[in-house]
Amino acid sequence: MLDSFILGLSSGSTCLFTCGMVIFPYLMAGTAGTRKIITDLSLFLLTRFLVYFILATLAFYFGKVIFTSPVFRNYISGILYMLFSGMLIWYAISRSRKPDCPAKIVETVHNRKLVPVFLGVVNSLGFCPALMLILTKSATEGTIVQSYLAFLGFFAGTALYFIPVPLAGKIRRKKVFETIGVMATGIAGIIFMIKGLTSLIGGIIYG
Amino acid sequence: MTAGLIWALCCLIVMIMLYFALGGLSEGFAKLPFMKLNPNTNGGELAQQVVMDNCTLMIRKPVFDGLLRERNKGFVQIEWKGDLPGKINDTIDYNMDSSPDFVIGIIVPENQVNLVALNPKVRDVGISTSTSYGWAARINIDK
Amino acid sequence: MDEAIKNLTMRKSFGKSMLYTLPMFLLTFILMTGGRPDFSDRSGTIALLTTFLGLNILYFLMHYTGKTDKLRAILFIVFALTLSFTLIKNTIDIRQTMTYSQGDILECNMPFCHLVIPMLILPAAFTQSIIYPGSILGGFASISAMVVLWLAASVILGRGFCSWGCFYGGWDDGFSRFRKKPAIRKISDSWKWMPFAVLLMVALTSALALTPTYCDWMCPFKAVTEFEEVTGIESAAKAGIFISLFGGFVVVLPVLTKKRTQCSYLCPLGAINTLSNKVSPFIVKIDKQICNDCYKCVQACPMFALTNDDVKKGSVSIFCTKCGKCIDACPKQAIHYGIVGVPANRMVKFSRNIFLFVSFLFIAIFASGSIITVVKSFVNLFI
Repeated sequence: MLDSFILGLSSGSTCLFTCGMVIFPYLMAGTAGTRKIITDLSLFLLTRFLVYFILATLAFYFGKVIFTSPVFRNYISGILYMLFSGMLIWYAISRSRKPDCPAKIVETVHNRKLVPVFLGVVNSLGFCPALMLILTKSATEGTIVQSYLAFLGFFAGTALYFIPVPLAGKIRRKKVFETIGVMATGIAGIIFMIKGLTSLIGGIIYG
Repeated sequence: MTAGLIWALCCLIVMIMLYFALGGLSEGFAKLPFMKLNPNTNGGELAQQVVMDNCTLMIRKPVFDGLLRERNKGFVQIEWKGDLPGKINDTIDYNMDSSPDFVIGIIVPENQVNLVALNPKVRDVGISTSTSYGWAARINIDK
Repeated sequence: MDEAIKNLTMRKSFGKSMLYTLPMFLLTFILMTGGRPDFSDRSGTIALLTTFLGLNILYFLMHYTGKTDKLRAILFIVFALTLSFTLIKNTIDIRQTMTYSQGDILECNMPFCHLVIPMLILPAAFTQSIIYPGSILGGFASISAMVVLWLAASVILGRGFCSWGCFYGGWDDGFSRFRKKPAIRKISDSWKWMPFAVLLMVALTSALALTPTYCDWMCPFKAVTEFEEVTGIESAAKAGIFISLFGGFVVVLPVLTKKRTQCSYLCPLGAINTLSNKVSPFIVKIDKQICNDCYKCVQACPMFALTNDDVKKGSVSIFCTKCGKCIDACPKQAIHYGIVGVPANRMVKFSRNIFLFVSFLFIAIFASGSIITVVKSFVNLFI
């Protein structure tokens, strides 16, 4: 759960600064006060939580079908960790990285009441490398509770950034925070790369 | 401007005094409430002590300390101090409920450790290592 | 104009330089001898006097030549080398190896260094305890003494600690001086925020795991102090990481870029010290009336603390470590040490004198112990 939380926390800041600018105006547009913002935000976070819950369940059972032996699990999870963490690192260092958010699709939704739910679904299903890493972790966990905990940690790490939504407009030096967030994501990628490497080597040596 | 100059002169004085006062300042700093080692670091408080033929067995309190609250997984640290026999085989009751929790066997020269869990909360051996005073082991346990 | 520049030169006459060195001479003597000089041990006496004279000659030359950086760097690099030598010697004397075992960690007798500090803050706040397996007070490099020294130096010198106090900085400072011209020039300015990302990650991981993760996994200076015994895949991975980071950030990149890349891109304590620059009364100032925008200072800065924009604005960024390299590189003497609140070009000499005294005194006494140890070891080889 610890590494999932760290991954969520590191990639969450990037998520906030890329998607935040799309999500916040929709969450706050036309609202009369803090109560409405809190309601919308809660709905948004609850949707993300539910989507993650479903993803954790699916990943676990999918993992059970695929990873039939522990050695195979070590190999595959090692390779997947390395692949997705490599993508995460690439995302952090790539100059062509565009601050685009999948939630931009929200423009097609006309029912304003559904916007927070829709944003929650799109935001949590934005298949970024960080989410792929958590899916891999969740798929290779021993019990379904551990699988849920992995997603719970990831959810908690990313959700922390969305809590001060009403203050988002007041943050100065957004670019600096975004830069630090992207770099932290890269470091998280390196952590998972090492995890993948040790898992793979462990599979080879002790397999 | 004056405030900056006064601050700079204060810093000058503090720097001159720093090394003279370092001993006292360090002692004062060490007395602050947070200046004590975390149980995860030092193994926790001593709970039981069993004097044996050549060495003393020390069992520390189980450690579950986390950042904000206790964790579900922790460890218990046990130490043997003194002249160790070639083979150690001790039955440990770490929670002091008068029923043994695990049996630990160590072949000291070969650095081999064997754990037999008698309590379902006992998981595995975390660390088993020689120390300057003898031997120490951390046994991973559930709460 | 030339007359104005001449007036700004920091050079002093021989007599004046001697006069300025006198307080340092007395203070270093008292502090290095503990006020009670003991000359009974021959090699110890030779080591003490050599170190004492060497330090004071450097300080004298700073006043006499008006230059700072090269003379500072000599002491800074010697400090890094001798401290590593002392630490390795101590470790080998005690354990007969440069490695430490799980047993050493369980016994909580690991020497403490200031790089651990960022990892202690959150656990200390939340658990009211220290997560480093070292000695709280007493013994070699106790947690309490090191934190007090770092705290005082950081408040007084700000990020100047990174160029006047850190006993690791001398390594990449030294390697950054190997080439005359950098092989890599274009580096994105945003990388200088990297230590903050490292700080964020190590502070969080350490707080959640309640172990100092930077020391465990990342610290490149384990290559020149002590490192975990390789007993399995995890410890082998750790060894691979610290060797790669040392090779990359402390040796190769500084040589290629002529910048202190470990300090600029990796060190989490550097991030905290960057913030402490806001507290320190000493800063580096640019006099825009004299500056001709030649940007030699930007090229010279080893810490990415100066950009062309900074020079245009006439202010040095918070990443400055006050090493003095830009000051020495400026052909117009437009950059100088200053004091917060005092306008650029006012009290220039006074500001430099007071900053040099404070910073040099700190490093001289901090470094003297390890320098004496090393000199004594060498003297013992011949006597």
